[in-house]
Amino acid sequence: MASVRVAVRVRPMNRREKDLTAKCIIKMEGNKTSITNLKIPDGNAGEVLRDRIKTFTYDFSYDSMDSKSSPFVSQEKVFKDLGSDVLRAAFEGYNACVFAYGQTGSGKSYTMMGNPGDAGLIPRFCEGLFTRIAATTRWDEASFRAEVSYLEIYNERVRDLLRRKSTQTYNLRVREHPKDGPYVEDLSKHLVQNYSDVEELMEAGNINRTTASTSMNDVSSRSHAIFTINFTQAKFDSEMPSETVSKIHLVDLAGSERADATGATGVRLKEGGNINKSLVTLGNVISALADMSQDGGNTNLKKKAVFVPYRDSVLTWLLKDSLGGNSKTIMIATVSPADVNYGETLSTLRYANRAKNIINKPTINEDCNVRLIRELRNEIARLKALLVQGNQIALLDSPTALSMEEKLHQNEARVLELTKEWTNKWNETQNILKEETLALRKEGIGVVLDSELPHLIGIDDDLLSTGIILYHLKEGQTYVGREDASTEQDIILHGLDLESEHCRFENQNGKVTLVPLGGAQCSVNGVQVTERSQLNQGAVILLGRTNMFRFNHPKEAAKLREKRKSGVLSTFSLSMTDLSTSCENLSTVMLYNPG
Amino acid sequence: MASVSSDEWRAICDKFTNAQNLTVVDSQNDPDNDPFRSKYKARELLREIYCSLKSFEAGEGEEETGESGETVETGETGESGEQLPVEAPVDGQTEEAFSQGFCGDSPAGLRAAKLGAVEYYLGVNHVDTEELSAGQEHLMNCMKLLGKCRVSSENVSLFIHARNQLGILWAGRDETETAQGFLETAESIYQRYMKEDGSPPTDMADYFSTEENQLTHQERTKRFELAYTHTMYYLAQVYKNLGETERAAIYCHSTLQRQLKLNQFSPMEWALNAATLSQYYITKGRYMEGRHCLSAATVISGLAGEVPSEAAAQESETESERREQLRQKRAEIARCWIKYCLNILQDSKKLLEDSIGELDTDHTFDSIASLEEKVRCLLPMDFTEARAIFLVGQHYVTQAKEYFQMDGYVTDHIEILQDHSSLFRSLAFYEEDLDRRCKMHKRRVDMMEPVCMELNSKYYLMIRRQMMFELAETYNEMMDLKLTLANRQDETESLDNHTIKKFNNLCSASAKYFQMFLDSLCSPEGKQPEHLEEEVLRPALVARFRVARLYSRLICTSPPGQVENLDKSLEHYKYVVDYCDSHPEAVATVETELELSREMVGLLPLKINRIKAKIPANN
Repeated sequence: MASVRVAVRVRPMNRREKDLTAKCIIKMEGNKTSITNLKIPDGNAGEVLRDRIKTFTYDFSYDSMDSKSSPFVSQEKVFKDLGSDVLRAAFEGYNACVFAYGQTGSGKSYTMMGNPGDAGLIPRFCEGLFTRIAATTRWDEASFRAEVSYLEIYNERVRDLLRRKSTQTYNLRVREHPKDGPYVEDLSKHLVQNYSDVEELMEAGNINRTTASTSMNDVSSRSHAIFTINFTQAKFDSEMPSETVSKIHLVDLAGSERADATGATGVRLKEGGNINKSLVTLGNVISALADMSQDGGNTNLKKKAVFVPYRDSVLTWLLKDSLGGNSKTIMIATVSPADVNYGETLSTLRYANRAKNIINKPTINEDCNVRLIRELRNEIARLKALLVQGNQIALLDSPTALSMEEKLHQNEARVLELTKEWTNKWNETQNILKEETLALRKEGIGVVLDSELPHLIGIDDDLLSTGIILYHLKEGQTYVGREDASTEQDIILHGLDLESEHCRFENQNGKVTLVPLGGAQCSVNGVQVTERSQLNQGAVILLGRTNMFRFNHPKEAAKLREKRKSGVLSTFSLSMTDLSTSCENLSTVMLYNPG
Repeated sequence: MASVSSDEWRAICDKFTNAQNLTVVDSQNDPDNDPFRSKYKARELLREIYCSLKSFEAGEGEEETGESGETVETGETGESGEQLPVEAPVDGQTEEAFSQGFCGDSPAGLRAAKLGAVEYYLGVNHVDTEELSAGQEHLMNCMKLLGKCRVSSENVSLFIHARNQLGILWAGRDETETAQGFLETAESIYQRYMKEDGSPPTDMADYFSTEENQLTHQERTKRFELAYTHTMYYLAQVYKNLGETERAAIYCHSTLQRQLKLNQFSPMEWALNAATLSQYYITKGRYMEGRHCLSAATVISGLAGEVPSEAAAQESETESERREQLRQKRAEIARCWIKYCLNILQDSKKLLEDSIGELDTDHTFDSIASLEEKVRCLLPMDFTEARAIFLVGQHYVTQAKEYFQMDGYVTDHIEILQDHSSLFRSLAFYEEDLDRRCKMHKRRVDMMEPVCMELNSKYYLMIRRQMMFELAETYNEMMDLKLTLANRQDETESLDNHTIKKFNNLCSASAKYFQMFLDSLCSPEGKQPEHLEEEVLRPALVARFRVARLYSRLICTSPPGQVENLDKSLEHYKYVVDYCDSHPEAVATVETELELSREMVGLLPLKINRIKAKIPANN
């Protein structure tokens, strides 16, 4: 079963509601529960209808309004759905927790305790427990021990409801033990043999519970109460003695209509629109804010973990082991069907709707394993290469395959170098910046000039030169030559061995080609070119003997970067010695990569 | 009230004083089974006062119509005591309140204010005793009476108080916008009054006290300002409920500031609230505000005085409780500081990792503030800066652990340990010396390993899982560092035996903790879960994936050993693939890992076969 399940149950109209000729506003279909606001007139569609009828989905919606109708859900059915799973879980060694929540008079006691001859969840559960114990003991499979304790939390103080008169009972301390878990110091425990023992203790405890009469409600409980069954099974597991302990908590939550002295109803249960009156509760509000911003936003992003001190936490604290993971939890909310209770019922339904989120689930925070993924991608690439080459001795990643990215690497280092120079000379750039395709941004202490178009950056050795030259290579042709050329040149240069019509750059569909004209001296990456030659990102171009440029192609570079990020290209420059050992042990080698 | 004899008036004043005493003092001591006893009594007195005031009025021949304190009956409106009104009222305009109606100090104005005050007290009384509809009626009667008056020093306090109460009432019905309307009007009335008049306003209690008992100006101001502090606080909650967290935080901040300024706070409460507010700012990356709140928290918590000694605590219950409170809250403030240090380190690390040079430089303008303090609010850029923050964090770790000891506070203690470990991890990022970096990770292992083994899974399952995962990752990190170090020192030849042994130990330790994590998902009988719960789905598959990787990295010279390791590796990769095939909903959570696992499931057999092919040759 899922670790948390939420059910809502509606009771029949009571006498009082009938006397007031109250109307039924609750409807259940499948696992959905709808509530109608009769104050909003019927007959409209859309927005208004949504306001009039609100629908919630739970794990179970139990209609117990009319025992004669067919959808009527009996005590038996509720137990079968919810109780028997918890019971099984307890025998398997899980902790279990049953929460009951609802306005006074909404049928909470009926669901939990039931009436004579129509037993509720708790008696059925206990009966199941003891029946199974008896059966297992008869077969001598295991021996059992069950102890109960009963406490209440009132105004954040813990009180033993099964106290013996002489002992101190108020404000017991809640503590945690590394081996034994959360516990209440000095809380009395009582051995039980059967359900009637349990019943007796429960009744005794109920008498001690803090109850209050108001002009609204005859008797209503203003405290949370926790009835705990500690359940130990001892058996031999393949000759080894083994002991399993399960805790079963039955929790009666303080009704939602009441607030304790601090204005908080505990367990962060009461959200909704309520305003706390007293400034004493300012802390709760601030905590909630910190909590909201901690949980909110994009769930894919790693949350920022902060520390939020809670003031109303005794219940959450005590149930940590039940709410924290290795337990099975059921939450039952009970409601009245009558329109006179619209407000309370709606708030109960809303609360139940959020109930799953209340269970505090610590999550595992992983380190990002980007590096691991990168390594593995490399290995996959190598293994694939192996596959391609069959059983021959594998030539793993050849240096040529690496050269492209390596170059990009080196080039990027050079860009950094260049930008440093630029910072000293950036006056000129303001003019260039007026062009739309250029952008200037700060990078650390450096300045980076971004351009979207392919371009040439002048590299010159002249110590007296203070400017940086950037030539855009527009779509189409860009001619390079001297001032004295017969046709107008796009880029005008002078220098040793620079011809009047030296060369042209062709930019077609994002591909840039250098075309030397009439045997003019052109070289790319130190190699003389006489034919058309396509340029790649980072190419160093020498025109004549003194005009040196670096060719940048931002779009191509962006693609390469993207590839590198996704690991399609291996960015690790593996040394050859490493590669040879990799044949034997492909995966053991990795080089340090800062960051 | 010329026609009222002074005796009659004195009687009314006495009744009012009694009613106030019953409401404020006696009600505190009402028994748990009759919690509203005193308030019910106070209600009767207020009703009598109301009747008297009306009868004076009748005597004066000035009949008022429309309002009546008597028509509202109690407790008949159904089980919940609440009938939702058909439509929510909308609050009037501030402008009108200042320009229309009786002068506040005219006889008619004073009369309206007094009647309004009684209606107000009756309204609060009903609300306090969970009779909201009746309470609302009284409060609206009060508003109606005030509607006849112009805002002035005689009645401005009532203007604010009544709206505060209506704000609470409507918010309780989830009619947040209506509540917001009342409270924002209260806010603007206050501001306008302070701007245009500002003299200490009459408190409502003054309406019903004899001359010799009138409040001092100082006391009037104090009460008025406190009412407005409440308005701020209620608005904070309204904004919070509307999801406007930013605005809510500002109003919480104002509330705290006003408490401090008006000297109406208890130091420990205040300090803890300020510390908590810092956590909000931290989540927003606003470290300067966060640090400001934390520094204020530390300073103000000092005002709460010394922690009583253990001996003193044993002598008296009060001292014992005080000792507990002071120690706990100071430890909690320390934990807020730890998170500050941790988050600032992590934020900076994240930015440095993502791309150098996109650091937010906005904060540089706050240099003045950062000079004042011992800890920086700017993101650290290098080891020295990071270490300074780390040390502050570590200082607070020590402080917090003094109170949150393992025995008694397991969960808290471990959370602090985890933070300490994270501080080390963040610092290691800045450490360039790999050997020292490795030692920092070793410190993390040393602090977590024994604790993880000591804890009972039964009660601390999730915490143990977190620790197992973190230990596995830490060992993995150390393994990588060791290898990098070895490769760096000895680039020519393959690894020496000593290094291989170390490497394998770290590799196995990492795999062991991932495996332990996976085992923790099994049922109590040790059965593998068929279905992984949402919150462990990704960690479980990632753990498999990583174990698979670790097995393939173990260095082993014998081919059969290699095959054995690779078989295990393959098995774990297969699990990831098979699980995702049978649970398509899992695919989205582990896309990359799944893709790689699929590849490996296809390719690893090839590698295994190649090694196997060599085995007979070697034999």
